[in-house]
Amino acid sequence: MAGLIPHRGALVLFGAAALFPLVVRDAFFLDSVVLILLWGALSAAWNVAGGYAGQVSIGHASFFGIGAYSSALMVTRFERNPWLGLLLGIALSLIAGLVIGFLSNRLKGPYFALSTIAFSQVLLIAVSRWRGFTAGAEGIPVPFRPGFATLGLSHVAWVYVALVVAILYYLIQVYLERSRLGLQLAGVREDEDAAEAVGVASRRLKVLAVASSAGLTSVCGSLWAQYIGFVDPAYVFSVDLSVRFALNAIIGGVGTALGPYVGSLLITTVETYLRAQFSGIRTGFTGIYLILYGAVLIVVVRFFPEGLVGLASRWWLRRPGRARAAGAPGPA
Amino acid sequence: MLTLERVTKRFGGITAVHDVSLEVRQGDLLGIIGPNGAGKTTLFNVISGYYRPEEGRVRFDGHDVTGEAPHLICRRGLTRTFQIVKPFGNLSVLDNVTVGALTRIAAVREARAEAEQVIERCGLAAHAATHAKALPIGLRKRLEVARALATHPRLLLLDEVMSGITPTELAGMIDLVRRLHADGLTLIVIEHIMAAMMRLAQRIVVLHHGERIAEGTPAEIASDRRVIDAYLGDEFSLAEA
Repeated sequence: MAGLIPHRGALVLFGAAALFPLVVRDAFFLDSVVLILLWGALSAAWNVAGGYAGQVSIGHASFFGIGAYSSALMVTRFERNPWLGLLLGIALSLIAGLVIGFLSNRLKGPYFALSTIAFSQVLLIAVSRWRGFTAGAEGIPVPFRPGFATLGLSHVAWVYVALVVAILYYLIQVYLERSRLGLQLAGVREDEDAAEAVGVASRRLKVLAVASSAGLTSVCGSLWAQYIGFVDPAYVFSVDLSVRFALNAIIGGVGTALGPYVGSLLITTVETYLRAQFSGIRTGFTGIYLILYGAVLIVVVRFFPEGLVGLASRWWLRRPGRARAAGAPGPA
Repeated sequence: MLTLERVTKRFGGITAVHDVSLEVRQGDLLGIIGPNGAGKTTLFNVISGYYRPEEGRVRFDGHDVTGEAPHLICRRGLTRTFQIVKPFGNLSVLDNVTVGALTRIAAVREARAEAEQVIERCGLAAHAATHAKALPIGLRKRLEVARALATHPRLLLLDEVMSGITPTELAGMIDLVRRLHADGLTLIVIEHIMAAMMRLAQRIVVLHHGERIAEGTPAEIASDRRVIDAYLGDEFSLAEA
C-alpha cells in the first residue's frame, strides 16, 4: 500500500471519476466528466513533449486533428471501423511528429513554438480546401452506430473509456519520471549541450518525445471525434485547442504526472460553468474565457511555475511534523 | 590515447585554432594555458565533437572521432566539462550525477548507487538532495566534475574548474584533481590559476591567438621567453607555485 502514497492525488481523482456514474446519471454532468478526463489526457500527451522534454509546442492540435479526421473519414468515407481510423491516425501523427521533432532540432524556444503553430494552420488550410476528400470547411458529421466496435457508446460507457485512457497516460508519465529515459530527458530539458557531454543522445530523444506525444494526442483526437459526432476543421486544428493542451499542463504543473489532470479539472469546470452562464451571448463569452486563461497563465508562470500540483506538494511538505521526503520527482 | 593532428577551426573570417597538434598518453595530466581568446575552449569543443574542424583530425584510441557527435564521444570514454558551468538546475545533485551514470548503467537503481559513490568521492555528499540551481558556484563546479566522472571517462577534459572559487575551495579542487589523476584518470586541464597549474601538470601546452607557441614541463614554460611575453608576464616566478 505504501507504494501508492505518492499517487494519492491520482487515486482520489480517478477514483472519484470511476464512482461518479454510479451516483450521477445526468447526461450533462457525465459529459463534463468525460471532457475533463479527455482534456486531461490530451494535456498529459502534450506534457510528454512540453513538460518532460522541454519542447513547448503550441501546435498539438495538428495531431489531434489528424486523429479526429482519420477516425471520422475511416467511418464515413471508407465505411470501416473507427478503431482502424485510430490506428491510422497514430501512424500519420507519428510521421507528423517526426517532422516537428526534426524542426525542434533546428529551432529554439519561441521559434520552435511558432513553427508548430504554422504546421497546425497549414494542416487546417489543407484540410479545409481538400473538399473532395475531407468535405472541406463544412466538416464531417460522424454517424452514431451503437456498439463498442463502432464506438457508439452511452455516456456512462464513455466515462470509463475516457478514464482508461486517462489512467494509461498518467502511468506513462509516471514511468517517464522514474525511468532511465525520463531522467535523460530531464537532462535534455534542463541543458541539451550538458546532457550531450555526459552521453545523452539529446537530438534523438527530443524527436522521440515529440513523436510519442503526437501519437498519444492523436488517439484522443480519434476518440473525441466518435464521442462528439462532428469534426470541424476550424476547431480541431485551431490554435485555441493547442493552447488549451498546454494551458492545463502548465497550470496544473508542467512536468508532473498529475498536473495535466488537475489543470483540466480546473479549466474544464470553469469553462463549462461559464458556458452554462453565458450561453446566449456568444461573442461576449468567447472574450471572457480567453481573458481568464491569459490572466491565470500569467499568474501561474510568474508566481508558482511549478503549478497547482507543485504548490500542493510544497504545502504538504511544510506541514509541522513532516520529515523532508527524499527529493521531489521531476522539476521543482 | 588522444592525438590532434593539425587541427584548424575557423568561424567565418576568424581562425580560432590554427594548425594545432598535440598528443596525450594514458596517465598524463596535460595543462593548456593561454590568454583569453587563445582558442583553448574552442579546442575542447573540437575534441569533444561540438565543432567540426575545417582541417585536421582528432583521434581517440586510434579511432578517428573528428566531428563525431558529443554523446558518442562520451560513450567512447572522453568526457568534458564546461567553462561556464551547466548544471541541470531543477534536478537534485544526485539526479544530476545519475544522468551521467546512466550512460554506462542501464538500471536506474544501480546508476543512482553509482552516482552516490561519485558524489561521496567528490565531497558533495552533504548536498545530494539539494537542487542544483540552489548551489553556490564552488559547489556547482564540483558538481560539473562529479557528473562528468559518473560517465566513467578514461580521458577527462576540465575547463577552468578552478576559476571564481574561494581559496579553500581551490585547495579542495586541486586535491580532487590530484586524487583523480593518482587513481589512473588521464586529464587535460585548462586553467588560468598558474599556481594550481604548475603544481598539477606534468606537461603544459601554451596557446596564443589559436596557435601552439610552446610545450614543455612547468619549469620550462615558466622560463620560456615567448610564453612570458604572451601571457605570464615578467613578474611571474616559479617560486610562487
